[in-house]
Amino acid sequence: MSYFLPCFYALIASFAFAIVFNIKLNKLLFSALGGFVGQLTFALFQLIISNDVVLYLFATIAISLYAEIMARLTSAPTTIYLAVALIPLVPGGGMYYTMLYFINGAMDLGIATGVHTLLISGALAMGIILVSSAVTLTRKIMLRRRHAKEKTPA
Amino acid sequence: MTVSQLSHIAMEMGVILLSNGAETYRVEESMHRICIALGAREAEIFCVPTTIILSITMADKEPLTQTRRIHTRIIDLTKVDEINHLSRKICYETLPYDELMAEIRRIDSAPSYPYVLQVLAFAVIAQVFTLFFGGNPRDSIIAFGIGLATKLLMDLMNRLDTNSFFINMIGGVIASTVAVTASGLGLTTQMDTIIIGSIMTLVPGLVITNAIRDIIAGDYLSGLTKGVEALLIAAAIAAGVAVPLSLLRPFWGG
Repeated sequence: MSYFLPCFYALIASFAFAIVFNIKLNKLLFSALGGFVGQLTFALFQLIISNDVVLYLFATIAISLYAEIMARLTSAPTTIYLAVALIPLVPGGGMYYTMLYFINGAMDLGIATGVHTLLISGALAMGIILVSSAVTLTRKIMLRRRHAKEKTPA
Repeated sequence: MTVSQLSHIAMEMGVILLSNGAETYRVEESMHRICIALGAREAEIFCVPTTIILSITMADKEPLTQTRRIHTRIIDLTKVDEINHLSRKICYETLPYDELMAEIRRIDSAPSYPYVLQVLAFAVIAQVFTLFFGGNPRDSIIAFGIGLATKLLMDLMNRLDTNSFFINMIGGVIASTVAVTASGLGLTTQMDTIIIGSIMTLVPGLVITNAIRDIIAGDYLSGLTKGVEALLIAAAIAAGVAVPLSLLRPFWGG
């Protein structure tokens, strides 16, 4: 249960963020579910992977996939789903501890935490880039196939 | 449809998209699609987070260029969604100018959630993230209060046109002042968790997402601008949190 409690917190947090971003009722729950999906992936892979940068990468890939699929299904911009789902994964804790170590004068700890936070941010960016590029590529290939079919006389 | 009517519609839609939190490449793409669908022969759009430049050519007519500066940027994803729908609709069916303008005005003036709900949502974010990072219920109630105070003060400062870095810095100051004071009064032992949970409300999630998506789409200028914006906001929050931490802790013996 302690693994899955964060998922529900992420769901509520994403829901509240969707209200702050003014997403309308019919898409509100779906965009909030993205936060849940991200945390669930994180919690599940936690059982087999111990490197948390990789975990963040997987979680971001999951939410990006979810966002792209939902965007196609509801013909809405991907951002609506992605931005809301991404927020629970943003390393706010890392940011805070980096700052805290620096003002406490613990330079090496600060630098180590800072680099770790940067790596996590990189993982988030990487996850979005991977999925988004893959989706664009697939769509281009499918479009080209459709064009080729239309050109060949039946 | 005349050139000026066409550019008016495309520009209005672009401005709504850009000032409500759409990615820059989406603004360029949508405006281009709208112009072509409405009968322009050529349409060139250049868009950065603060400016749109639109230049259209119609057959047998003088080309027309229009520039618009974006001053206020807020987040209202419903407007982005609805303009997106409208731009698709324009591609499939021809609508008269008056009808299009009426629809654009309706979208632009659509009401958002009631203010009380927005404030509550903000406070709930702080509360839930405190639980998320391992706080107990009492910590989460303190964070709820911080969320309320932050949102109310941020809106007040927004109304006075304060820049967003200062606003975020003040957000950080409120979060850590309240948390340090609460921990000094013995109300909580998890000051760090409360601060982290509360500053998650300020995290520029949409800016990060848009920066990455703009860079993938090849719009490096806008992507980098927004990336730097996100970094500066994060730095402002950290700086805001740091001030009370260094100044107040000696008084409370932390």
